[in-house]
Amino acid sequence: MIIEWLKTQWHFSAVLTAVVAGVILGLVAYASLFERKIAAWCQDRHGPNRVGFFGLFGWRLWGLGQPIADGLKFFVKEDIVPAKVDKPLYVAAPAICLIVATMGFAVIPWGGVVDLDGDGQWDVRCQVASLDIGLLYLLGLGAMGVYGVVLGGWASNNKYSLYGALRGTAQLLSYEIPIGLAILVAVLMAGSVRLEEIILAQVGEGNCWYAVKHPIAFLLLWAAMFAETNRMPFDLPEAEQELVSGYLTEYSSMKFSMFFMAEYTHMIVGTAFLAVLFLGGWHLPFIPWLQPESTSIFAMLCKMAVMIGKVVFFMWLYMLVRWTLPRFRFDQLMRLAWQKMVPAGIGLAGVAAIVVYIRGSEMSLWREVALCWAGNVAVVVVAVLVSLLARQRGDRVTGRQGNLPAVPAAGSGA
Amino acid sequence: MKDEDVLNVDDLQPPLNTAERFYLPILYEGMVTTVRHMFGMWGAGKRVTVQYPEQKRSLRVENYRGVHRLNKEWYRGEDGTRQERVACVACFMCATACPAHCIHIVADESPWDDREKYPVRFDIDELRCIYCGMCEEACPVDAIELTAEFDLVGLSREEMIFDKEKLLEMYDRTKDIKPRKDPKITGYPTTADRLATAPAADAQAPEE
Amino acid sequence: MSPTVAYLLYALFALGGAGVYLALPRSQARPTHVAGLLLGAGAIVGGLMLLGTYVIAPSSTESSTNFFFYLFSAIALFAAARVVTHPKPVYSAVYFVAVAVAVAALVLLQGAEFLAIALIIVYAGAILVTYAFVIMLAQQTGVSVYDTRAREPFAAVVLGFAAMAAIAGRIADPNALPATALAPATASLVAGAGEAPVTPDAGAEAQAGNTISVGWSLMTKYVVVLELAGVLLLVGLVGAIALVKKKVPRDVGVDPEAPLGQIGKEVEPF
Repeated sequence: MIIEWLKTQWHFSAVLTAVVAGVILGLVAYASLFERKIAAWCQDRHGPNRVGFFGLFGWRLWGLGQPIADGLKFFVKEDIVPAKVDKPLYVAAPAICLIVATMGFAVIPWGGVVDLDGDGQWDVRCQVASLDIGLLYLLGLGAMGVYGVVLGGWASNNKYSLYGALRGTAQLLSYEIPIGLAILVAVLMAGSVRLEEIILAQVGEGNCWYAVKHPIAFLLLWAAMFAETNRMPFDLPEAEQELVSGYLTEYSSMKFSMFFMAEYTHMIVGTAFLAVLFLGGWHLPFIPWLQPESTSIFAMLCKMAVMIGKVVFFMWLYMLVRWTLPRFRFDQLMRLAWQKMVPAGIGLAGVAAIVVYIRGSEMSLWREVALCWAGNVAVVVVAVLVSLLARQRGDRVTGRQGNLPAVPAAGSGA
Repeated sequence: MKDEDVLNVDDLQPPLNTAERFYLPILYEGMVTTVRHMFGMWGAGKRVTVQYPEQKRSLRVENYRGVHRLNKEWYRGEDGTRQERVACVACFMCATACPAHCIHIVADESPWDDREKYPVRFDIDELRCIYCGMCEEACPVDAIELTAEFDLVGLSREEMIFDKEKLLEMYDRTKDIKPRKDPKITGYPTTADRLATAPAADAQAPEE
Repeated sequence: MSPTVAYLLYALFALGGAGVYLALPRSQARPTHVAGLLLGAGAIVGGLMLLGTYVIAPSSTESSTNFFFYLFSAIALFAAARVVTHPKPVYSAVYFVAVAVAVAALVLLQGAEFLAIALIIVYAGAILVTYAFVIMLAQQTGVSVYDTRAREPFAAVVLGFAAMAAIAGRIADPNALPATALAPATASLVAGAGEAPVTPDAGAEAQAGNTISVGWSLMTKYVVVLELAGVLLLVGLVGAIALVKKKVPRDVGVDPEAPLGQIGKEVEPF
């Protein structure tokens, strides 16, 4: 009976929305614990390990109760709205951030298609909304996500916040271009902007993940994703040391928490996006339940687990990088985007277009992979040559800004 | 401002080489280190945290300056048995030396023959105290000492004013960990001894 | 459409124009603000109902589509009025974003998904963020005089609303366009699929969705326009670079071997 009811995509989507929202919000809460744990392990500490569940069983459970305690704390803390903020925008900004970040889950294909009643025909997609423009929808959300940062920073009426907002705007706008170019590689190869079709183009006989075909494009998207989610080497809008948390400075209590949740949600969407575009989404090779042909409910659950596993793996990498790399300076950030990533992205998109043109409809997988690799290697070789040439010319990349006034040495007196 | 005073920090850094300009090799190197520490591989990643209430860091008991205690000493009672009494002779040296003025003593005539006074009340405001150890240094009979107890908590300010009984109880709690200081018995160097053995280090003041 | 309806339409536009005129920011404080808003709101509602009755409703089968049409139209019109009447530039930019999103939703209701999302990415995502960026940089505190006062409000309102009335009258006139093709024509026009199928497989077109249709029509029928637009953008880019490019000496006079005190000696200030 319930199976019959679920066979309508609309009903299934509603249930999936509830499930995904619950799971994801839990994942977001636990992402903060995960992050703190990994931060601790990277620094030879233990991390939060005290909070259990109300002393349940007398165990501490490795601090697994910590996110609940944190959430409770955020709810009951005083919510300070500073006197001179622009109140409507100040209140709206965290909401915009969180809503836009959460909307991304609507199009992510979690588990392919499902055959609910076992008659050999698939009934529903394990995806909240199968949009014709899934990829562009995610890009559009990325574009809208800037507003939370911008408005929050401006409305706070604080110079640090404004600096954070300005940096955030420039950074997100700049890094959307390499992201778009890297996405273009996957779109060209798959010939579709539908996320589930991009997955299907990577799996099955005679296909392979685009991360194998286009490793450089994969790295490019991965790196640009860091900037898009304001993560560590690119966390200039927040920059605790310089900007005392940037656009978050004036926020407290649940509003701060909403920005925080938005950041983690953004990370989850971003990694899911990466997994779909370049790592075959829910697919793993050689495992029968993870192929597009298997559509049972069990297979769906396996696929969802694999998808979430990929997301968690990339979240882990995000966190490792955070404790590995120092922050970029702003001019280095811009130079990286416009002088390195954008040309590389254009080159890779060109390579993908050429591959698509040459391969036509019949070409064996090996030859296609070899062709893609040749193109990727060519892009890298050109980049190395350009870099060597710049070195020959004596360009210095330490980031001396030639037109800035000199900095007085300490104690000399101006 | 003169040009000679200008120092551009950027020019002190060496320029990046070709591999460094691509960031990825550097990223890989760094990630290897991070992962090593995270999983505790290849000699890295020994956890340094002390799990505080269960584990406690071993302190140098001799010179750690924690909560005060008021020492007790043995004496022969009128019936010839060994009895305990407070070692303090209520000379007010500690209260005088205290920079935070947190020691308050009320003295009275001693019931014992070998001393004139003894403290009826001996209060130390542990919230005012700065744990400098001057009282310890000033005491002529080594009656007041700082123990290695550092987890000092209370629910009210009144509770944190330690009176004579509490300070004596502190001695009972810590006497096994830290024996009563007596230069003749324990062999701890006195201030005078330390000054005598280390003259050069103090004399060498940093330039400017 | 009967002449009565046409005159009603024009009258509503006149009303809306008067409302916007009254609501436009002026230097002196005045009680007409509320009146202006009321008038504007009345005009918006009336215009919507007219449009709904004579243009959209006959072709629309689903009532939910109708409802969302009214909802997003109202949001778009209100936000558009606030873009020009709000005294704070940042709020104008935010309302502009609301207009872009609401219009994207309207386009989406017509089945043109690609156009809708392109509108959001291009307008809300790039252009208006840049606006917000500039506004924030230019004016951090307070509201300046030139933002609180409309320039030539009368002429602007008359011109704008006359143009809008002309366009609306033309659209609502059944003689101007075939009545049967009104809404579908709009949909296929924006989707670029209204022409004879240029896709290789016409049967697959419905399933392929309008992203592919837009791509095909852009690369076949409108390829010259597309290329011209590309060239135009390139020219704009080159022009922008030429405008901002100053000849900046690169590490002037810095000799790596020189003693530290000499470094930066010849660097010019801004």
